[in-house]
Amino acid sequence: MENDAQRTRAAALCESLFSWIEGKLVARTRSAHYARVVLESPALRASVGAGQFVLVRYGEDPCLPRAFSVMSQRPGALEFFVKSEGRVREKLWNAPIGTPFDVRGPYGVPYASRIPSDRTYLLVAGGSGVAPMLCFAEQCAHLTTGGVYGFRTADACDLLPNIPLVIEEVTGLQAADRLRAVWRPGLGILACGPEAMLRILANDYRGVPDVYVSLEARIGCGIGTCLGCRIETAAGPKRICVDGPLFPMEDLPWLT
Amino acid sequence: MADVTIQRLGRQLRSPVVLASGPSGFGLELIDGVDLRQVGALTTKTITPEPRAGNAQPRLVDCPAGALNSIGLDNPGLRAFQEQILPRLEELPTQVIVSVTGPSPEAAAGVAARLSEASSIDMIELNLSCPNVSEGLIGADADAVSAYVKAARAAFDGVLLAKLPGDAGDLLCGTEAALEAGADGVTLINSLRGMRIDWSSGRPFLKSIFGGLSGPAILPIALARVYDVRRAFPDAVIVGTGGVVELGSLVEMLMAGADLVGIGFGLMVDPQVACRLTGELRRWLDERDIQSVSEILGIAQEEVPHAL
Repeated sequence: MENDAQRTRAAALCESLFSWIEGKLVARTRSAHYARVVLESPALRASVGAGQFVLVRYGEDPCLPRAFSVMSQRPGALEFFVKSEGRVREKLWNAPIGTPFDVRGPYGVPYASRIPSDRTYLLVAGGSGVAPMLCFAEQCAHLTTGGVYGFRTADACDLLPNIPLVIEEVTGLQAADRLRAVWRPGLGILACGPEAMLRILANDYRGVPDVYVSLEARIGCGIGTCLGCRIETAAGPKRICVDGPLFPMEDLPWLT
Repeated sequence: MADVTIQRLGRQLRSPVVLASGPSGFGLELIDGVDLRQVGALTTKTITPEPRAGNAQPRLVDCPAGALNSIGLDNPGLRAFQEQILPRLEELPTQVIVSVTGPSPEAAAGVAARLSEASSIDMIELNLSCPNVSEGLIGADADAVSAYVKAARAAFDGVLLAKLPGDAGDLLCGTEAALEAGADGVTLINSLRGMRIDWSSGRPFLKSIFGGLSGPAILPIALARVYDVRRAFPDAVIVGTGGVVELGSLVEMLMAGADLVGIGFGLMVDPQVACRLTGELRRWLDERDIQSVSEILGIAQEEVPHAL
């Protein structure tokens, strides 16, 4: 019986990697520039590890689907934190509750599988990079010693009311500035955000052990075949969709 | 039940739907979740004599009704292909076409010659039209097409296809050159050169500025090219590729004159698309009491399409 259950589960997981699962928009809270969005699908049986992402498409739109990191999940539902720009994102932003969206995934390797578990990490995010970090903080609280989450504008506070944020338009500081004040040798760092933020971190923490960055790229297939997201690393060529999205900073010498 | 098999290139293919070079990689990642028995053939990523890292990121961006890529022939090179990938291609439950190119006719033919030593490889597609590398648009020059195909023909006994550009050179001259030099057929068309600009920064979105446009946006262009070539070369084998993502566009491509239809962009959006299309095509033919897909090939060339 157990083997049957395992096989059924494996098949369900595999199905959602290669086939679209019908879902619909069931909840959304918006601020000026961001939204928390929940997509629900009874058929969505996959368990998502922090750092993994799914592809979302709107109807039969003949466009590339859009990748979103999962911020939180419950059975049959996934929550994302999305900016208000871009084709799929605009649909998520504007479509009436109940609008169908298809989902496939999850893709990528959970952060926890990529990092040593014998140390604790400061989580650093800029903008919608906050999504996988909050997911990690919830799933791997024992590996986490705090978070530095930066936003340019204060409206993000409305969506994340219980989480201290670094708001640039209020304090003049970015996440990287705050990180300098709280990081101590011995702490690892997990970072996700705009490339400009990651470059600052690379400048500040190059050579520091256990600094990891979560990379973004336009994802094509999600399953590792199209090579649209392939990058060069010190450990050889890697695909963000199947080998990432988290990489040791030391493996990304071009990130300067 | 309608027959969707295709007798071309000296073999029977289970479906006119084939996976185009690029988005399906080497097919190995698809085995776990895609029933490749439903597709006529799978075309691998293009193999070059030496490894290529391709272009820098960003190298993929979405477009209205398509995508622009500048992947740039990213591939492990002939040696790694032979050692690490080729032995595993026998796992694929479909026929395999290996895409090949090189910086010169001799270099590309060298790859073809090495592949001819592998008993499992009997179909090659010469990629003469990559819009993303400086030496890619070989197909714009009929003399170059002739030189590449002649060299590959001398090196390889199996099926040889030439993939030509849809937006550079005279396609009819290119097709004639390819067929006269010994190609068994032509694949039309590759992605079309284009660009996008990040309008918040004013910079081209792709690091390499230009990329190849694929997806439904290019379907009408691909149809016109296939139609033109079919009209000029009634007996040529044509693999029509460009923007086919659903049953309607698949049928259009067959009616324009394609014998086989390549799916590229569509596979990125939906890994199941090629399998689904084979089933949908069979049902569509059944609903019209059409016995075989062969009956609709090229019928848009007829004044009164006889099959409908």
